[in-house]
Amino acid sequence: MKKSLLVISMMVALAIGVGGCATKGDLEQVQAQEKMIGAKADQAAQDAQAAKAAADAATLKANEAAARAEEAVRRAEERERIADEKAKQADSIFQKSMKK
Amino acid sequence: MFILSFYGCAAVRETLVKSLPPPSHLEEKIERNDFSVAKEDDVIGRLAVIRLEEEDTLPDIARHFSLGINTVSAANPGIDIWVPEDGDRILLPLSFILPDTVRKGIVINLAAMRLFYFREDGKQLAVSTYPIGIGTTERPTPMGQMHIVLKMFRPTWHVPASIAEDHRKKGDPLPAKVPPGPLNPLGEHALYLSKSGYLVHGTNKPTSIGLRATNGCIRLYPEDIKRLFETTSVKTPVTIVNQPYLVGQRDGTVYIEVHTPFEESGTTELEKAYAKLKNIEKKSGHALDWKRVKEAVAEARGIPVPVSEIRPGSEKDVAKTIELKHPDKLYGKPEIPELKTDAWYVLAAILHDQVDALRLAAIINHQGPQISARVLSKNDRHRVLAGPFNNSSEAKDVAKRLKIDLEIDGILVEP
Repeated sequence: MKKSLLVISMMVALAIGVGGCATKGDLEQVQAQEKMIGAKADQAAQDAQAAKAAADAATLKANEAAARAEEAVRRAEERERIADEKAKQADSIFQKSMKK
Repeated sequence: MFILSFYGCAAVRETLVKSLPPPSHLEEKIERNDFSVAKEDDVIGRLAVIRLEEEDTLPDIARHFSLGINTVSAANPGIDIWVPEDGDRILLPLSFILPDTVRKGIVINLAAMRLFYFREDGKQLAVSTYPIGIGTTERPTPMGQMHIVLKMFRPTWHVPASIAEDHRKKGDPLPAKVPPGPLNPLGEHALYLSKSGYLVHGTNKPTSIGLRATNGCIRLYPEDIKRLFETTSVKTPVTIVNQPYLVGQRDGTVYIEVHTPFEESGTTELEKAYAKLKNIEKKSGHALDWKRVKEAVAEARGIPVPVSEIRPGSEKDVAKTIELKHPDKLYGKPEIPELKTDAWYVLAAILHDQVDALRLAAIINHQGPQISARVLSKNDRHRVLAGPFNNSSEAKDVAKRLKIDLEIDGILVEP
């Protein structure tokens, strides 16, 4: 009975010892993975930030372009309005000149 | 010298444009004034299109085809009257619905600004039609039944008190009477109407045909009044109506022709037109395209628009629009004499916009009597120059006319 207990105790101790060694390796692996993933995450964050910045810049540019286009349209409409007005004014004066 | 060099460039450009061969499939002629009226028909003439050439203006096109500027302008919305684009296609409204009144003698439709002269040609009814200028809102042309009481070749214009007063206010006093000649606004021929003080006459301002610019008289192009004068006699009946909405039929197709009604006109005429259309629809048993009727009323382009609902095979009954060849020369187009270094000129304006300058020059050119004007461009300065004139007196007279008629402060340019 005592012998059996001893064997069991030794097996448990061995198991604990072997298990302890595996946990340390795993930890190092995990740490390495963590480092790598962290670096990847940092990179992704940086990339995302850069992408957001680029998108923001693009949006800004697009907005500026849209504003410029709107301004160009407004100016063209204004030119057209002025041209129409001038033509109407000229026509009105012409019509008056056709009276006796 | 610099003036001559600019003109040289313009002349070369003109030669280049004119050297392009015209398309070969175009028709050369179209009926403008004289038509026979088939029984049961109310529509005469055909629509046509023409491609504009460099330096054309709509008033020049209008006069050549015996149309008023009002109808050419209404038929071609969005086209600049004075500076249209070279190559623009212009619709010539040479189709007309006859006014809804007795077809005898002279019939004048004020809204369409058009005169119709009906007469029997054998067993057929013939009609000659001409565009007209009419009275302003303040001094409108009277409507009703009247007749010709007197025909006068080279009439003297006895200036009415109201016109004398208008001119005095403008700083342009008129004599009590103006003898025949280029300054006489009656032109060379006049038909005196039984309604005292009202005449059908020619004009020294042909570009006014199609405008409300008279004091109640009826003006025609000089070439048109000459023909009317030669073919009418004293006692010819004259009926004056105001029908902006004309409804008629030709070859079984129903048409509506809409002219912008005068401000002072009510809605009665439109109601009458709708009633007439409904009556036609009921009698014929064929539905009308009421959407097209509404569009025609809204657009008011002054051309007959078919409003019969399209049935298989009925498209052939609608008169086709023809494409016309541009004439080599437009009748009555103002001619501009060559520049001379030893002449007087009047500088009418210096403008930065070339279109504005071209428009002003065109307007000056179309005054009556004509004042020759052209644009001399240098960089972004476009000078509108009237002339040449033989002496300072001529130049001063023109400067005065520019001031009174067009509110332009011209500057005399010595030789």
